[in-house]
Amino acid sequence: MDHLFLMLWHAVLVSVFFAFLWRRTARGRRNLFLKTLVIMVVGGTALGWLMYPFP
Amino acid sequence: MTTDGKKSAKLRKEELAESEVGGRVPAMLLAATWLVPGLGHWILGRRVRALVFGAVVVCAFTTGVLLSGEMGTPKPQNPFSWLSTFACLGNGILYLVRIVWINGLGEIFSGFPFGLAGGGNPSAAGYAYGNTFLYTGGLMNLLAVLDASDIARGHKD
Repeated sequence: MDHLFLMLWHAVLVSVFFAFLWRRTARGRRNLFLKTLVIMVVGGTALGWLMYPFP
Repeated sequence: MTTDGKKSAKLRKEELAESEVGGRVPAMLLAATWLVPGLGHWILGRRVRALVFGAVVVCAFTTGVLLSGEMGTPKPQNPFSWLSTFACLGNGILYLVRIVWINGLGEIFSGFPFGLAGGGNPSAAGYAYGNTFLYTGGLMNLLAVLDASDIARGHKD
């Protein structure tokens, strides 16, 4: 089981959902999708690294 | 225009807007939106959104089940289990079918509410991930219900 893939898959699903929930134009949806996807993936990875030293 | 005049004009405008939009949302529409992810938006003519919401919720739910996630069911002495039940219940018919699949139709009535099993495998590597997908899918569908309610009342496009 690939943890990174699962995180990416979860981020994609949530980003697509909120892009269609909160934006009405194709451009707005694309921008929000990319923004939320990057925030979740980069934020999740960063948190993972920060938590690494802790047991 | 004086300040009072501006205020009354604004109030009249708000009252007009309230009378044009607002109103009650048919309960059947909300029930349909909850029960079948995307159906409410489909009925309201938002076909693309309906397909996307339906696909996202089904994908999240299926991933959760495939990862051996556990459906939320109420457990005595564990108030947090009600929260997980609420989140999973948001998946609508997917949750109901899965619960019947796991427990059998007879157990649903005899075991309700504390005797219901949620399935899943706590020792599986994907158990926690699966739970997350199941909760997320349900909560996204509940947000879709609120969105359909706003659309039906004219508050959203």
